[in-house]
Amino acid sequence: MNWHAYVRERLPEITGDAARDEEIVEEIAQHLAQRYDEARAAGADHARAFDAAVIQLQERATLSRLLREADRPRAMPPSPPPNRSASMLSDLYLDVLYAVRLLRRTPAFTAAAVATLALGIGVTIAIFNVVDAVLIRPAPYPDVDRLVMMWETDSASGTSREPASFPDFLDFKAQSRTTDRIGAFMAIDGNLQPPSGDPMRLAALAVTPEMLEMLGVRATRGRVLSTSDDVPGPPGPVLISERLWRSAYNSAEVIGQSIRINDRPRTVVGIVPTDADFGIVQILRAADYGGGFGTRDSRTRVDVWMPLQGDARRLPRSTHPILLMARLAPGVTSTAAQQELTRIASDLERQYRDDNDKRGIAMQPISQVVFGPVKPPLLVLMVAVGLILVMACANVANLLLTRGTRRLREVAVRSALGAETGRLVRQFVAENVVLAGVGAAVALILAFAVLRTLVAIAPAEIPRIAAVGIDVRTMFVAFACAAVVALAFSLVPVAQAKSAHVAMLLKSEDRVTGGTDARRLRALLVVAEVALAVVLVTGAGLLIRSFWNLLATPPGFDVARTLKAELQLPQSRYPIQNNPMPTSPAIVQFNAALIARALAIPGVQSAAIAANHPLDGGFASSFVIPHREAEAANWPEISIRRVTPSYFETLRIPLLQGRFLEDRDRASMPAGVVINQTVMDRIFPGTDPVGHEIRFWGTSWTIVGVVGAEHVQGVAKEPPIAVYLPLDAVPGNAESLIVRTSRDPSSAASTVRSIIREMDPGLVVSGLEPLSETLSKSLTQQRFLMMLLAAFAFLALVLAAVGIHGVLSCSVAQQRREIGVRMALGADAGRLLRSVMTQGAALTAVGLIVGFALSLALGRFLTGLLFGVTSSDLATLAAVLVVLAAVSAFSIWLPARRAVRVDPLVALKQE
Amino acid sequence: MSVNVFSREVKKGSAELMILALLEGRSRHGYEIGKQIEERSRGAISFQIASLYPMLYRLERRGWIEGRWVEKAGERRRRFYRLTTEGRQVLRRQRSVWHEFVEALDRVAGIKPA
Repeated sequence: MNWHAYVRERLPEITGDAARDEEIVEEIAQHLAQRYDEARAAGADHARAFDAAVIQLQERATLSRLLREADRPRAMPPSPPPNRSASMLSDLYLDVLYAVRLLRRTPAFTAAAVATLALGIGVTIAIFNVVDAVLIRPAPYPDVDRLVMMWETDSASGTSREPASFPDFLDFKAQSRTTDRIGAFMAIDGNLQPPSGDPMRLAALAVTPEMLEMLGVRATRGRVLSTSDDVPGPPGPVLISERLWRSAYNSAEVIGQSIRINDRPRTVVGIVPTDADFGIVQILRAADYGGGFGTRDSRTRVDVWMPLQGDARRLPRSTHPILLMARLAPGVTSTAAQQELTRIASDLERQYRDDNDKRGIAMQPISQVVFGPVKPPLLVLMVAVGLILVMACANVANLLLTRGTRRLREVAVRSALGAETGRLVRQFVAENVVLAGVGAAVALILAFAVLRTLVAIAPAEIPRIAAVGIDVRTMFVAFACAAVVALAFSLVPVAQAKSAHVAMLLKSEDRVTGGTDARRLRALLVVAEVALAVVLVTGAGLLIRSFWNLLATPPGFDVARTLKAELQLPQSRYPIQNNPMPTSPAIVQFNAALIARALAIPGVQSAAIAANHPLDGGFASSFVIPHREAEAANWPEISIRRVTPSYFETLRIPLLQGRFLEDRDRASMPAGVVINQTVMDRIFPGTDPVGHEIRFWGTSWTIVGVVGAEHVQGVAKEPPIAVYLPLDAVPGNAESLIVRTSRDPSSAASTVRSIIREMDPGLVVSGLEPLSETLSKSLTQQRFLMMLLAAFAFLALVLAAVGIHGVLSCSVAQQRREIGVRMALGADAGRLLRSVMTQGAALTAVGLIVGFALSLALGRFLTGLLFGVTSSDLATLAAVLVVLAAVSAFSIWLPARRAVRVDPLVALKQE
Repeated sequence: MSVNVFSREVKKGSAELMILALLEGRSRHGYEIGKQIEERSRGAISFQIASLYPMLYRLERRGWIEGRWVEKAGERRRRFYRLTTEGRQVLRRQRSVWHEFVEALDRVAGIKPA
C-alpha cells in the first residue's frame, strides 16, 4: 500500500511550499501506515485495518486548513507568567518578558501606540526645547532685569524707537542719576582684507566701553576696549570674534597685529566669544531706522567691535546715528528712571529747540526688545503642540482601553484560578510601562530629527535658535508623560474585571467592549480629539490664508529676472565731502562705469544702482512743504530713496504722473525728485504734486514725478511715504547694483562679481542673489510658522481619524452579532451601513461644534500674526468644516464597510 | 461557571502540557506521542491526526519542541520531536498553573479523594 501517494492525492496542497508539504505528507503517511500495521498485527483483515487507518483522514478540508494555519509563522498567545515565583525581581523579569512577547504578537496595536506616543511626545519635546532656549532661559547679560533700551521718540513723525544724537547721549550720561551706566552703539558695515583670500564683508559694532560691560562681553584673549580707546582721533583698536579669528586667521596669533578694515589699519587688542553679539541684531531690527546690517539681513553676526570715538563736531545734535542702552541703578524702579529721563529730554528740547523739537525718551526692557517679536509665534506653537500631546494621549488611552477590555476574559480566568489582584496589576503595569518606554525612546529620536529640521529652517532672527538642543530635563519629562498615560490605563482591565461577575464576563459581549463606562469614555475621547483637531486645523488654515495673502500682495516692483548685488565702497578710496550736501566724484564715476559694464553683459536689459535695494527700509527724514509748515507736525518722516534714473525702468515701477528722474535732475537747482503714490494720497490728495517743492536736510527739491509705491519694509507692512533722489546728488558708501536680465538672473551672478572685482579688487560683493530670493527670505518667519502649524494640523487630522476609526471599530465589534442576525433575516446592507455611520457622525458632529466654539474663542490670540484675514474668517471655518467632515467620514466608513461585510454565519457562531 | 466552556479550554490547554510532558524524558515521533496519550489516559483522551499534527507544528513554531528527521538502519526515516530549553521552562510553568488550578477546584468542589 503506497500510503504516501494516498495522502498526497487527498492533500494536494497544504502550505504552498512544496518541500514543506512533502514533509507533512510523509509524516502523516507514516502515521497511517503504522496504524494499519498495528491493526493488521492485532488480527484485522486488510479492509478493516485500512478503514481504521483512513478514518483519520475523513475531514480532509479541515485537516488541510489546520495544518496550513499551524504552519504559518503566527505566534499563539504566550502563556502568562506564574502567579508566584522566587522573588520580586524574578517576577519583574518574567512580567517584562511576557509583556514584550505580547506586544510582539500584536504588531498593529504596538505600532499604533508607539507611533502615537512618539509623535505626541517627540514633537512636544522639540518645540519645548526651542521655547526653553529662546524664551524661558534668561538673556545672558549680567543684571538683565536692569538693562533697558533708551529709544528717542519723535512726536512729530510718530516714531517711538529712534536712534539718538551723540550730544544727547553725553547729556543723558552726565545728568542721569537713576541709571548707573548709559552706553551707545552704532552698526557699521565693513570690508576686511584677510591675510589671504578675497576681501570679505563683515558686520562691526562701534561701542562705548559701557556697552561691553553692560552686555557682559569679556575677552577670551587679550583685553576689551577701554575708555582710553574711545577718544576722537585716528582709528582705534578693535576686538574680533572667535569665529572671525578661526575662519580668517586660522587661529594664528593676532593680538597686537594690524588688520585692515575699510582700508584703514586697526590693531587687534582682544578676541571675544562668538556669541558676544547675542541680541544685537534683534535690537537693531527693532529700531525705526539706523539698524544697518541688522535690518538688511537677520543672519548677520557681529565679528568686529570697535570704539565709537564719538565727536560732537563730526556727529552734531541734528544727526541721530547712535542707539542708547542703560542700566538702572540698584533699587531704582523703571517708573522713576522713565520720569527722570523724560525730564532731561524736556530740558534738552527747551535748550535745543531746532534739533530736539518734539523729541523725548522711551525706555524698554532689553528682554522685551530681544524676545518680544518672537514670543507670540512661539507661544502659538507651544499651544499647538500641547493640543497634539493631549490628542496623542487620548488616542493611546483609547487604544489601551480597547486592548484592556479585550483581555477581560484572560483576567477573569486568571482571577478564577487564584491570581492575586496585585499580581495582575503588576503585569499590566509592566506591559504598559514597556510600551511607554519604547514610545518615549522613539519620541526622543523623533525629537532630535524634528529639532534639527527646525533649526535648519527657522528664521535667523529667533535668538539662540542655532544653539537649541535636547535638554536632559525634557528627556525625563518625556518618560514621565509616557509613563503617566501608561500607568493610568493599566488598572482599567483589572478594575473592570473585579467589578463585574466573572461568569458574565466569560459569556457576555461586554467583554468585547468593556461595558457602558468604557464605551462612554472612548466616545468622550473621540469628541475631544475632533474638537482639538478643529482648533489646530483652523489655526493652520488662517495662517495659510495669511501667507497666501502675503504672497499675493504685489511688492510694488517686479522681482522677475532681477539680480541684486550689495557693495560697500570704502571711504579711503571713495571719499565723500559734505559741502554741505555730500558729494563724491569717485563714487559717481564708479557708478557710471559699473552701470555701463553691467549693461554690456549678454542678456542684461537694464541696470540701476540704489543706496538701498527695494527691500531695505533705509532711513527717513522729517520734511516740510513750503507754505504748509503747520501741517508738517502731523506728517510721519519720509523714507529717503537714493537711486540712479534707470531704477524705475529696471524694477518696472509704474509712472503715475509727471516723469521719472533723469540725469539732468542731479544738476538742476533745486534738484528734481520723484515721490511715491503714498505721498500723493496723504500729502497731496486731489491735487497734482508735480512742480511742488519739498524741503528736507535744509534743501529744497522739486517734485518732477509720481511713481507707484514700493513695499520697502516688506509686503506685510504698508508702503511708507517715500521720495526718490538722484543717487549722484547724494552719494553714499553703501549701495546695491540691480540688473534685469532676459534669462535666469543667477546665470549673470558670476559675471557681475567678476566685473566688480575687475573694476576694484578690494571691493566686497555681498547679497548677490535674485531679488525674488530676497523677497522670499523676507517672509521667512511667516512661512516658518505657517509650515509648522500646517504640519501640526495634519498630525491632528491623522490622530483624530485614528481615534474615530478606533472607537467605531470597537462599536462595530460590539454589534457584530446583532448585525449578523439582521443580515441573516434579510436586512438591507445599505441601511445597516447608514446606521453604523450615523453613530460615528453623531460623535463627529459634537466634536465639530465644540471645536468651532473653541476656535472662535482662541482665535484672537492669533490676530497679531494674521495678514488680510480675521480670526473668525468664515471662508476658513467653512474649509475646515469640509476637511474635518471628509476625514471623519472616511474614518467612519472603513469600519462601517467592515460591518456590512460580516458573514452572518460567522457572526452568529462567534464565541 | 459553565463546565462546557472550560472543557473545550481544558482539552485545548492540556494537549500542550501532555505533549511537552511526554517529550520530557526522550524524543518521540508523532504516532508514538498520540499512542502514549491514549494508553496513559486509558483511552479517556485521544487525538486524531487533524488535532495532533497541527498541534505539533504549532509547538514547533513557538520554539518549544524541535523536530528532525532520523533515519535508522533498515527503517524508513521518521520525524522525531524533542523538548527545547524554552519548552522545558514552559512545561514547568504549565505544571505550576495546572497544579494551582486543581488545588483551587479541590477547595471549591472537593475533587480529590479525602
